[in-house]
Amino acid sequence: MSAFGQIFKRSVLQLVRRPIYWIGFFLLPLFCFLFLADLMADGLPIKAPAAIVDNDGSPLSRKVSQQLASMQMVDVVATPHSFTRARHLMQEGEIYGYFLIPENFEADLLAGRGPAITFYTNMTYYVPASLLYKTFKTTAVYTKAGVAAEVMNSVGITSDASAMLMPVNITVRGLGNPGLNYAWYLCVSFIPCVLQLMIVLITCFSLGQEIKYGTSARLMAMARGSVLRAVTAKLLPQTLIWWVIAIFMESWMFGWQGYPMHGSWWWITLSELMFVLACQGFGLLIYSALPNLRLSLSVGALLGILSFSIAAFSFPVQSMYGAVAITSYIVPTRYNFLIYIDQALNGIDIYYSRWWYVAYIIFMLAPLPLMPRLRKALQNPVYVP
Amino acid sequence: MKKYLKQYYHALLKEFKLVKGDAGVLIFMILLPIAYPIVYSLIYNPELVRDVQLVVVDNDRTPMSRELVRRIDAAQGAWVIGYAANLGEAKRAMHEHEAYGILEIPEGFDRKIGLGEQAEAVMYCEMSLLLRYRGLLVSATDVMQEMGASISTERIDRIAPLAETIAAGDLMPIDNIQMGNIEGGFDSFVMPGILMLILQQSLILAVSMCGGAKRDDPRKASFRPLEQRHPSVLATMLGQTTVYLIMAIVPIIYIVHYVPLMFRFPMAGNTLEELMFIIPMVLSSIGLGFVLQGIVRERESIFVIWVVTSVVFLFLSGLTWPRYAITGFWRVLADAVPGTWGVEGFIRMNTNGASLAQVHKEYENLWILTGIYMVAGYLVQRFVQRPHIIAAARSMESTGNRTDAPEASKTH
Repeated sequence: MSAFGQIFKRSVLQLVRRPIYWIGFFLLPLFCFLFLADLMADGLPIKAPAAIVDNDGSPLSRKVSQQLASMQMVDVVATPHSFTRARHLMQEGEIYGYFLIPENFEADLLAGRGPAITFYTNMTYYVPASLLYKTFKTTAVYTKAGVAAEVMNSVGITSDASAMLMPVNITVRGLGNPGLNYAWYLCVSFIPCVLQLMIVLITCFSLGQEIKYGTSARLMAMARGSVLRAVTAKLLPQTLIWWVIAIFMESWMFGWQGYPMHGSWWWITLSELMFVLACQGFGLLIYSALPNLRLSLSVGALLGILSFSIAAFSFPVQSMYGAVAITSYIVPTRYNFLIYIDQALNGIDIYYSRWWYVAYIIFMLAPLPLMPRLRKALQNPVYVP
Repeated sequence: MKKYLKQYYHALLKEFKLVKGDAGVLIFMILLPIAYPIVYSLIYNPELVRDVQLVVVDNDRTPMSRELVRRIDAAQGAWVIGYAANLGEAKRAMHEHEAYGILEIPEGFDRKIGLGEQAEAVMYCEMSLLLRYRGLLVSATDVMQEMGASISTERIDRIAPLAETIAAGDLMPIDNIQMGNIEGGFDSFVMPGILMLILQQSLILAVSMCGGAKRDDPRKASFRPLEQRHPSVLATMLGQTTVYLIMAIVPIIYIVHYVPLMFRFPMAGNTLEELMFIIPMVLSSIGLGFVLQGIVRERESIFVIWVVTSVVFLFLSGLTWPRYAITGFWRVLADAVPGTWGVEGFIRMNTNGASLAQVHKEYENLWILTGIYMVAGYLVQRFVQRPHIIAAARSMESTGNRTDAPEASKTH
């Protein structure tokens, strides 16, 4: 058997024998795929608990309350008698917002004294607060429109009430995700980022084990002194496993879960396969720069977790401070996300995504200049606890 | 009693020595909770998404359509980067990642307003990020209302001076008041919760690493593994817990008080009550660390196993995906994580100004978790961790290592 084949076989045996690899390759990534997708399977967290404070108690205010209670996004769980009580309910976490109908609402409205409807949303929780905002606002606007139509009829204006109340109407259309499915935002970005984290950790861990237990000298001997042969033969079995997982991830998200797929499967598949190599390159870069098990794992873990934020899955790069924004581009998962946006969500021409694929290649090549350093470390293994 | 005190004191000293000599543990217990909040807050500190790039396709080219574009450009969430000749050209700008929205104004926009009809325009939003969509949506809604109000004032004045209340636009004013995070900033929303998770994860990682270090090198154990009689497990654990608590004091105060202060998060709560609230969260995290020591065979493997759980805990905590929408098995799992209650309680105290009494449910649950994890930790220490260390020490002795040399481990 060739030198390459022998190292390959040795490395397969290493992976099979230790439970931690089974956990790292299969258990944790698959658990996270399942967890994230299942948790957000509904798309939107409907039925946000809320309260109505009706200080008027008139037929009109009761009608408004009923209307609000029948909305899909809200679950009216309380009807406290005062503003203070409602605020306490919010502080206790029972509700995420409340709708306040003031005293003498109906009388003031019909008399033209312009009573205000106020609704309170707890912005410490973005998603429920946004949903409640939408529901509350719709209810209030409908109420207003109904009353306005009556008033206008009574003074003899017969023209279209909607044109009167809303002379300019801008329809906002979300391309590719009209229902604002929240899982489509979070899962497609967080799931590959989990994969990146695990690939980087396992790459550093498996290389670090060689030095920790002093077996790296033997590895180099088997590779007849070629660090490239040693590393590629060592990491190739992992690549193959990650490819299987990445393809599973792709089918899981865009097939089973039905996340948006408006482009070509081939480009997305290519992206996932290159993504695996880019992440391995990234891990190898970290390990070659810091050929120490603990240090490289620490850095890999810190960068891996920060990737969830700096890759700008929720807060856009354009809004970050310049110096922070740059770091967004030093993690492979960012490019996976950009390719998803272009090729799956928006389904545009591959031409526009060309640079993201080039970035993958740069990650694969990045560790090359550090190979002499890695060779030195592998040949003279020193374990620093 | 005196015997136990002595054992407690011995364990405390020994653990303190381990922690202060172990760079890895120090990094996770002190450096991580100090540095991470700064890094995170810097990422999100701009708080709001302003000026999302927008391209305009104006098929009307009238004063009224230009007025609409001007108002949109002036809105906080949108920034008109230019005009496109047609929808195709606008789409190309979007595909080139130069713009994230297109405003299309149809022909006859001005004329319709003049005729008293409803004038329609369409805004297409690229949906890769929710916050960008929100910026454009809010801008469009605001402009729609503003412009509508000024147009109907004119119009109603012309035809029916009677309907004054409609003319003024306040037949029934509608107000939204944002509570807690009053400016609706992203940093102020996400960080208080993340702080709790950072605290929990750093403690769990540090405590498990202490356990892994002892299995790697039994000389670091908090008891003498080769002696016939071993000290009480409880006294040893108490000694260790004391060390962890002492080490964590600075990070806790920093996280609860100084990080929100530095980055100007809402701080509506009472700091002393918040600290009281944190205590059971810290204790239950330490307990969980004791439990995890049972599966950590070497100190490094905890990274591979535990780091990714941060993501899972983030979602279980209800910060991004609210708790009322978490059901079944995931709900049970969420309830078993100290951070879930820590995040819930701390957010409401810090941001919504709740008192400790108002978060009593979370507070009690944290104490229950403390009890459960400490008991489980005791069992793990007694039946897994301690036998492992003793076995490791024996095998070390039989291979000729000097186990009585206390600090030899540092140099190898």
